Amino acid sequence: MSFEVFRDVAQPIIAGFGITARRLAEQKVTVQYPDDRREQFPRTRWRHVLTRYDSGLERCIGCSLCAGACPARCIYVEASENTDQERYSPGERYAKRYEINMLRCIFCGYCQEACPTGAIVLRKDFELANYEREDFVYTKEMLLEPIRG
Amino acid sequence: MAAVANVPLVKVSINDVEIEVPKGELIVESVKRLGLEIPIFCYHPRMKPVGMCRMCLVEVGFKQQDGSVRKMPKPQAGCTLPASEGMVVYTDTEPIHADRRGVLEFLLINHPLDCPICDRGGECPLQNNTMAYGPSTSRFIELKRHLPKAFPLSTYVTLDLERCIQCGRCVRFTEEISGDHDLAFRFRGADMQPSTFQLTDFESKFSGNVIEICPVGALTSAKYRFRARPWDLETTPSVCTVCSNGCNVWFDHRAGKFVRINGRANEAVNEEWTCDKGKFGHEHYNAADRPTQPLVRQGDGFAPTSWSGAYDPVLAAFAEGGDRVAALVGPRVSNEALFLLRRLFERAFKSARVSSNWRRTPGSGSVQGTIADVESGGPVLVFGTSLADDLPIVHLRLRKGATNAGARVVNAFSRPTEVDRFAAVSLHYRPGSELALARGLHGLLAGTGATAEAVEAETGVPADRLREAVEVLKEGGTALSSQGLYDLSDGPQIVEALAGIARATGGRSECWATGANEQGAIELGLAGEGATATLQACAEGRVKALWLVAADPFALHPDRALVERALETVEFLVVQSPVGSEALAYASVVLPTALPAEQDGTYTNCERRVQRVQPAVPPPGDGKPDWRVFSECLLRALPETPLFNPREVMEAIAAEVPAFAGCRYEALGPEGTVLGGNLLDTPDEPAMVGGQA
Repeated sequence: MSFEVFRDVAQPIIAGFGITARRLAEQKVTVQYPDDRREQFPRTRWRHVLTRYDSGLERCIGCSLCAGACPARCIYVEASENTDQERYSPGERYAKRYEINMLRCIFCGYCQEACPTGAIVLRKDFELANYEREDFVYTKEMLLEPIRG
Repeated sequence: MAAVANVPLVKVSINDVEIEVPKGELIVESVKRLGLEIPIFCYHPRMKPVGMCRMCLVEVGFKQQDGSVRKMPKPQAGCTLPASEGMVVYTDTEPIHADRRGVLEFLLINHPLDCPICDRGGECPLQNNTMAYGPSTSRFIELKRHLPKAFPLSTYVTLDLERCIQCGRCVRFTEEISGDHDLAFRFRGADMQPSTFQLTDFESKFSGNVIEICPVGALTSAKYRFRARPWDLETTPSVCTVCSNGCNVWFDHRAGKFVRINGRANEAVNEEWTCDKGKFGHEHYNAADRPTQPLVRQGDGFAPTSWSGAYDPVLAAFAEGGDRVAALVGPRVSNEALFLLRRLFERAFKSARVSSNWRRTPGSGSVQGTIADVESGGPVLVFGTSLADDLPIVHLRLRKGATNAGARVVNAFSRPTEVDRFAAVSLHYRPGSELALARGLHGLLAGTGATAEAVEAETGVPADRLREAVEVLKEGGTALSSQGLYDLSDGPQIVEALAGIARATGGRSECWATGANEQGAIELGLAGEGATATLQACAEGRVKALWLVAADPFALHPDRALVERALETVEFLVVQSPVGSEALAYASVVLPTALPAEQDGTYTNCERRVQRVQPAVPPPGDGKPDWRVFSECLLRALPETPLFNPREVMEAIAAEVPAFAGCRYEALGPEGTVLGGNLLDTPDEPAMVGGQA
């Protein structure tokens, strides 16, 4: 092995391993996804959630202001009237159907901004991939937060 | 309020712009001439001003000798302020802005601000005016007034008392427009609430209009409740096809489904009103039992098929049938479909048995004037019809003529009707004595020696009343009735006697159709032998194949036994229907079709006004417009080029039917066109329904 071969081939490799060896001791930037997940920033806007009051009643009153504010027109709301026997939300009105087409959504958060009761919020769940296009239409059942307690 | 002839013009200055307006015109109207707007709540152009809401405040002054302007110390309500010479009006000054903010803050003190769940939210004058002129925040932190929400005023109207701003529009509507005086204000101050007198149902036949004129969400539609928000809706200008008046409406729909009907302004027809039958009578668009695909009979049931699979047996059964094939048409089929149906039967089936007349006796009525003529102020005899049921918009027009133009009305009907409330004379005859009364009135008016006492003996109407009626009618009395008279066994003679009355008085003789396109069928020559004759021929086996076009004989014909016998006997029955009906059970072939707002076409209303309807929503499933079904049958049956779109059909109608001469889609203005008017010299400019390009 001539001097030139050592200088042009072996030395850079050894130098490279040297850099790697030094970095091994430092803190790592990547995480082992999906085993590990990085904490999202506090104001991250990902998957929508329809929240509930502490009493378990839905916050959503089916006013459709989110659909009006949505620039991608991906929200469909159908309202109906609460009865004393079947009560979903406080007051007269609730959302019978609430659907978001996630393929259209641009995660701008205007729906959250428009909501008068704070029902729709964009939270940190970002794993939204799926196999069928139909599965991207999120229904009210999928969006509603489970009853706590 | 339109300018009236012979009213002198006065010079007024509005925001330092001088204009001439008719003397006495309200300032709230005058500013519109400059393209300005004064915010209003209680003022409505078709009702008397009351100045209740104080939203239209303006500054007013008068020019002094030295040219300066001396303002009045306080602002004035623009809706009660008539224009006078030298008046100086300011609508956009700082004091006025402060006043408007104050008025709105005051109105909002007790308003619940539940806009997110309010059906009016998004199209609410209170919302709009607050956004444009109101304060951005509220200083009111005390407890708001709490009152019942969602109180059912009637089957159609829901009252939310918390939202009411006491403008009085609804109360004034029932007093000034519909004339039933159903609503009134109870209590005073913050407790003031519109309601019926004895808390009974709000039974007006025009109650739906108060929903539209309410400037807040206090009166909302029970049928539209929570069904959509205004920004979810698409709207299409359309024409109501529930009765023959042809009211112009907005057909609101969402995701291809009908949602609600709102009135659309057409000064020649409905002004801006609708009746409850029209406003709430379109739910069948969303009916679950509408046929969605062609069906052919297979044993006791039906087998779904394609359109061509359905056409083949139909054309085989009807081909060259002559007198042994017949068609019965319902009252809501467009001019284009009627024309093509007649052509199909004449040319392909060699049959003239196409009939649209479901009355007991034949007759084609009489149309001499227009709906707008009814309010002209001449004396009117309303005969044998409950006008608010049969011709609702004509009822409103007649009432307007009676209250505004001093028209004296004689109402003749076997039981009390809404017309009695403003009629000068009411004649309540014994049922069955219509002909005797019509002939008696004719005799008394023509002076042929008849005596009131003799008529009284026959009809039960007091002789004094008859003499009063003759006094009212003798100068130009118009006889107004509906073709419902032909449902009486002596219908044609009654209509003839009414025409005699009109001749004797020198007035018009009007006997108007009640079905959406009943008049159109008459004009197109489809009245035919009448449904009764056709059904009898079917029952006796003289007709082997019958085609029902958007007609449910069980609903349209009074003789149920005859209908059953006819449908059971006839060998081949085609039921072409947009909705489910009892007749489907007897069908050999079912053809699903479109309802009026699902297709393109024209309708001829009771005054022979041709108006265009555009497709707003698609028909369910494989449904096709009626005219297309006939066009496709013609294509299969005859070696000639069929007419491929309604516009071409209308051109063919104009060429072949003298009454429709000159009628083209381009010639139908935004208000439609009355047949026989100045159709021939209308310019060749494109005009669409509702003035939309």
